[in-house]
Amino acid sequence: MAKTVSIQVDGRPLTAPESASLLQVMLDAGIDIPHYCYHPKLSIDGSCRLCQVRIEGMPKLQISCNVQVREGMTVYTQEPGVAAARRGALELLLINHPLDCPICDKAGECWLQNYAMRYGSRFASTLDPRRKEGKRLDIGERMLLDQERCILCRRCVRFCREISKTGELTVFNLGDRSQLDIYNGGRLDNDYSICTADICPVGALESKDFHHKVRVWFLQETRSVCPSCANGCNIAISEYHNRIWRLVPRRNDAVNDTWMCDWGRLSYGFVNSEDRLRAPMVARGGALAQVEWDDALAAAAGALGRFKNSHGGKALGALISPHLTNEENFRFGQLLRALGVERTAMAVRRGKADQFLIKAEKAANARGVRELGLVTGEDDGLEQLLKAAEEGSLKGLYLCGDDIVEVAERPRLAKILERIELLIVQNLWLRPEFARAAVLLPSTTFAEKDGTFTNYAGRVQRISKVIAPPADWASDGEIFTRLMNGIAATHERFDLAAIWRSIARERPPFNQLSFDRIGETGEPLAEAGA
Amino acid sequence: MAVRVITVARPAPGLARRKLWTSLFVGLAVVTAHFLRNLLKFASGGQDFTIHYPEQRLLQPPALRGMPVLVQMENGKERCVACGLCEWACPTNCITIFPGETANEVERYPEVFDIDMSRCMFCGLCEEACPEEAIVMSRQVEIACYSRAGSMWHKADLLVPQAQLKTRIDYLRHGYDR
Repeated sequence: MAKTVSIQVDGRPLTAPESASLLQVMLDAGIDIPHYCYHPKLSIDGSCRLCQVRIEGMPKLQISCNVQVREGMTVYTQEPGVAAARRGALELLLINHPLDCPICDKAGECWLQNYAMRYGSRFASTLDPRRKEGKRLDIGERMLLDQERCILCRRCVRFCREISKTGELTVFNLGDRSQLDIYNGGRLDNDYSICTADICPVGALESKDFHHKVRVWFLQETRSVCPSCANGCNIAISEYHNRIWRLVPRRNDAVNDTWMCDWGRLSYGFVNSEDRLRAPMVARGGALAQVEWDDALAAAAGALGRFKNSHGGKALGALISPHLTNEENFRFGQLLRALGVERTAMAVRRGKADQFLIKAEKAANARGVRELGLVTGEDDGLEQLLKAAEEGSLKGLYLCGDDIVEVAERPRLAKILERIELLIVQNLWLRPEFARAAVLLPSTTFAEKDGTFTNYAGRVQRISKVIAPPADWASDGEIFTRLMNGIAATHERFDLAAIWRSIARERPPFNQLSFDRIGETGEPLAEAGA
Repeated sequence: MAVRVITVARPAPGLARRKLWTSLFVGLAVVTAHFLRNLLKFASGGQDFTIHYPEQRLLQPPALRGMPVLVQMENGKERCVACGLCEWACPTNCITIFPGETANEVERYPEVFDIDMSRCMFCGLCEEACPEEAIVMSRQVEIACYSRAGSMWHKADLLVPQAQLKTRIDYLRHGYDR
């Protein structure tokens, strides 16, 4: 346990753990100290000289990021001398900064703009022309570099050395000729390269994906969780005109610090895709035809009910999607119980993993499905289900998601789908494999609903609705609920708080949780279930 | 509670009535004089005072805020770099911009620049917000249309050569001391 010390900032008493960075202590206390080079997850550099404060007993102004708090320290941040030092530092930073703001992607969330307006002098005393350097340099698959805009804070340099551990970037030359660039012949192509654009306080490093797309002040940011892998990095989704424009990482020290991988960041495209299934389809005369939601759900409930009466629930298998939320899958479990289904499985796509954030399981909620007790076994029951379908004891299938197409061998799956009598599919896309489906229901993406995901470590985290689906749209949870109401003659609604009460009652790992208690950074499951 | 009533004395109507009648006749006399003068001038082929819109048009002063247009440079390109400040400043949200990228030195241009003239209220805040002198209020006021779709002006319709907008641009530079 670290010792705490008490210090005084502008007459205000603060307590802090000993040897913490003075700047961080002041920022945590809500005191606004301008800074560029300091980042809580990177080492101290001390190159921007903006966070200078006066500390009693020290002969000169000190950069607060590099001062460790000591007992009885007295700090002044609002004095004329401090303000003059900030103004001077800003003026030096602005000497060579181009007036690119109208075409710079960072404008609006640029720290140089903000601090220049708040602390700057609005006056430049140099007469020399601005330095000319490389602009729009293609330094990587996903990144652009503008050397003129760079203020040499070296955040990106430290990121590449300390976090991604690839070390592509450095500052060449000295003094007035200092220049951010890539080591000879290199490319900024590491798996976390776009994080450098996030931490860049100005627009020197820009993501190609967001380059000249939309002004940041129009973006509506909503807290959510990245759906791309089991890690569950906390993100903010930026929405404008009912479209996602970018995903940015959100700080959660228990999951992703302040970073996220490029692959997850650029994975939002499917939400905006024009190729998505936008209306439910029902098999009519040998082909799939688009129908109204009510008709499709009635057809699905009817088909499931008839199948249950003629073959029994045991002849029906279900493939549970690891992309749906805990609540939706819980409701799916209730529907399957009403149908008497015994064989359930889950297919999870696997891919590249690393030691940092990227996990092999490419689905956000695989752990949640397991914790809800919907699937069992090493391979989540997949082999058993496929075998039963091959043997013919399984005559109907309810497929959620299309991961099975990637996971199972194609000829084998094709043969199974060929023999199945009743196939109900709930998916984002219309795939040729599902041509024999009796009913095809469009699924809803992570950005179009509220709910929770459980990440690989058993942390339950909330996602939020950002994009409004069409007016009469039924989300996955509503589909399950309405099918259940049709089959079991219940009168349930898809109400998250009520479902959470049931989950907490029925599933021991979720016992201690409630939907309202899960805050911005999530809550871990009970240890007993882990 | 008792209501206190104050009786206000009205002025006698006589004098006011008399004034009304006199001014009515004076007014009629002025109108008649103008009418006769115009009639005589017109009959004798001389100048008349009426602007025969739409055959004739009055040249409005540069202070007039007509419909906002985009300034087209000599090379045919727009000055606009799609910075989005006018879109932000617009109180009626009538401007929609989506930027695009080119290989030119000025790398950014508006791929989509739409103004919904049925929403525009000619306040001129877009012009004031523009850092590039790229959107200005023109003298154009004839923007009637037959359908709602017709009130949506796209980039190609909005571009006006810089030379035609010179008076307004000069007025702005003078007015804002740019």
